[in-house]
Amino acid sequence: MPQTTDAPRAALLREPANQVSPGQLKLWRTTEAIEALVVALALGAIWIFVPRQWWLGPLLVVLLLLNIGLALWIPRLKFRIHRWEVTPGAVYTQTGWLATKQRIAPLSRVQTVDTRRGPLMRMFGLAAVTITTASSAGAIEIIGLDQDVATRVVAELTEITAADEGDAT
Amino acid sequence: MNQWQRLDAKVMLVGPVGAFKQFLLPALIALIGVGTQQPKWLLLAAPLIIVASIVIGVVPWFTTRFQVTDTQLVVTTGLVSKQRLTAPLDRIRSVDLEATLLHRVLQLEKVQVGTGVDDTMIELNALSVSQAADLRRLLLSRRGTSAPDEAPAATGTQSSVGEASEPSGATAPVAEGTPVPAADLVTFSPTWARFAPFSLGRLAIALGGLGALFQFSSEIRIDLSDNDVWNRVASASLALVLLGVFAIALVLWTALSMVTYLIGWWQLRLFREDGNLRLTRGLFTTQSTTVEEARIRGVRLRETALLRTVDGAEIHALVTGLEDATYAVLPQAPRAVTHAVAVAILGDEEPVRVALVPHGPAALRRALLRNVVTAEVLLLPAVALPLWLEWGWWVPLAAAVALALFGLVLGRMEYRHLGHALTTDHLVAGSGITARTRTALQRTGIIGWVFSQNPFQRRRALATLTATTAAGAEQVVIRDVPLALAVALADRATPGMLAEFTA
Repeated sequence: MPQTTDAPRAALLREPANQVSPGQLKLWRTTEAIEALVVALALGAIWIFVPRQWWLGPLLVVLLLLNIGLALWIPRLKFRIHRWEVTPGAVYTQTGWLATKQRIAPLSRVQTVDTRRGPLMRMFGLAAVTITTASSAGAIEIIGLDQDVATRVVAELTEITAADEGDAT
Repeated sequence: MNQWQRLDAKVMLVGPVGAFKQFLLPALIALIGVGTQQPKWLLLAAPLIIVASIVIGVVPWFTTRFQVTDTQLVVTTGLVSKQRLTAPLDRIRSVDLEATLLHRVLQLEKVQVGTGVDDTMIELNALSVSQAADLRRLLLSRRGTSAPDEAPAATGTQSSVGEASEPSGATAPVAEGTPVPAADLVTFSPTWARFAPFSLGRLAIALGGLGALFQFSSEIRIDLSDNDVWNRVASASLALVLLGVFAIALVLWTALSMVTYLIGWWQLRLFREDGNLRLTRGLFTTQSTTVEEARIRGVRLRETALLRTVDGAEIHALVTGLEDATYAVLPQAPRAVTHAVAVAILGDEEPVRVALVPHGPAALRRALLRNVVTAEVLLLPAVALPLWLEWGWWVPLAAAVALALFGLVLGRMEYRHLGHALTTDHLVAGSGITARTRTALQRTGIIGWVFSQNPFQRRRALATLTATTAAGAEQVVIRDVPLALAVALADRATPGMLAEFTA
């Protein structure tokens, strides 16, 4: 833990309550595998077309191993970090892998609630819910929701936000 | 005002001039292309263009009509394809007036109505001065009578009362006939023009123009190297010539920037009027812009490194629902004046005066390191590579050391500007590397928080705290705050918003 040893231990943010769906882990694994494959092909092409030097072989092997390692590691890291929570008062998400972001938006300031289902997401039965506020910097996307969870979240959110009037600026 | 109205008839004099101006450039280009071979085209085209611009210029008067109903402003235009623009009165955010020199001679004014929903402004070009003033007052006061967004339920009953040819004063918080005496927030002084040369934004534009000019002139005088006189002058004192050119450019820039400053901001008045902040200015073209005070969420005070040397500053208001993200309340002005205006707009002097809480040694180390790395990465290849080949290995090394020192100075500066504070009503953020920027945002204008951490920040328990808002740049960023402090700050700034998520 970081060295913040203030006498009355200051409150930090806790993590959002819910983990994203295991389907999202599968999706990340798939996309990372595809990316790794593309990189591997590129490395192969370099091996074939670039004139051989003594250091080229070892370099390509190292890059290939690194590529495979990242493809295995990144999905798990992302899965550990991505979390979300919707309470009656606010939406709270945590995203990222190397750099992380924790976003909070009170529901009283929410303007629209949208769902998104990309082709890959549909394959894994996933959906994403985007919550926008009057600030373009304040939009929050909850990714990696199972479709039934997404439907429930949207219903919940629209019910809460419909009760609020005003333009939420 | 409930019946249909037309533009002022004198617009038939303004319109053709405007249309002619639009024709002029393409016509000239076409004529230079065609006319040099066939001179008679010139004779045929000239009257054609004049007649066409008169016709086009006159048409708007016949086709444009507008009407203010109880609920909306309706404008119809168009000869062939009719267009009907409507703006609900309670959505009207701004009514701006503008008059070019020609408008002013003819006692006309262009009216632009902004709804803040999208970028389209409803434009009426042009009304008579009194007609424009009436329309402006009517639109803004109607907006006031229909309830503000906090209490939308009251809209229906209130706006139906003001049906008569004049809105009845009873419905408005301020009676129509007796506007609140407008007190100026600032007194313009022509001596402020001394700050104009220190505005780098416009200098960049001017330099670009100058560069293009030099390129042009160098192409013309290719054979200059053969010129005996030039050769002698250049070889004798190249430095002196360069110095002379630089001095002339400096004088030109100073004069030019000051003149444009004075033309644009002459007779600047900034005053409150019926819950609006109104700005009027201009020597030749006069402009009047209005911003509803209820939409102002804060201000941003900015002193660039250059302006700081002469005690100048800039001030912008952070406004929601405005086409431009920020609203320049003043031009470059004395720092004391911008501070006074900021205090007047915020209604509180604390956010302007309060000392910022520094972010501590970890933030300082990050600022230093980040600036050194940025300086090395951006500048070292550019500086070192060409010289390396010519002079040897020690050049890049010396350059790297110099850049590191430069980066350290920048980092030190950035850290000095970095900080935050929380006052009764405002969140205050300090930022900027060479410029010193202080942003004060109403705490009620904060509509969310983002805590972001990159791996370097996580190692030092720092976070970048972003308060999201609907106004200005839509976010206020406070960099490298110790994490616990960031959470505490956000929690105190918006009580309750984080309560569920702290542990």
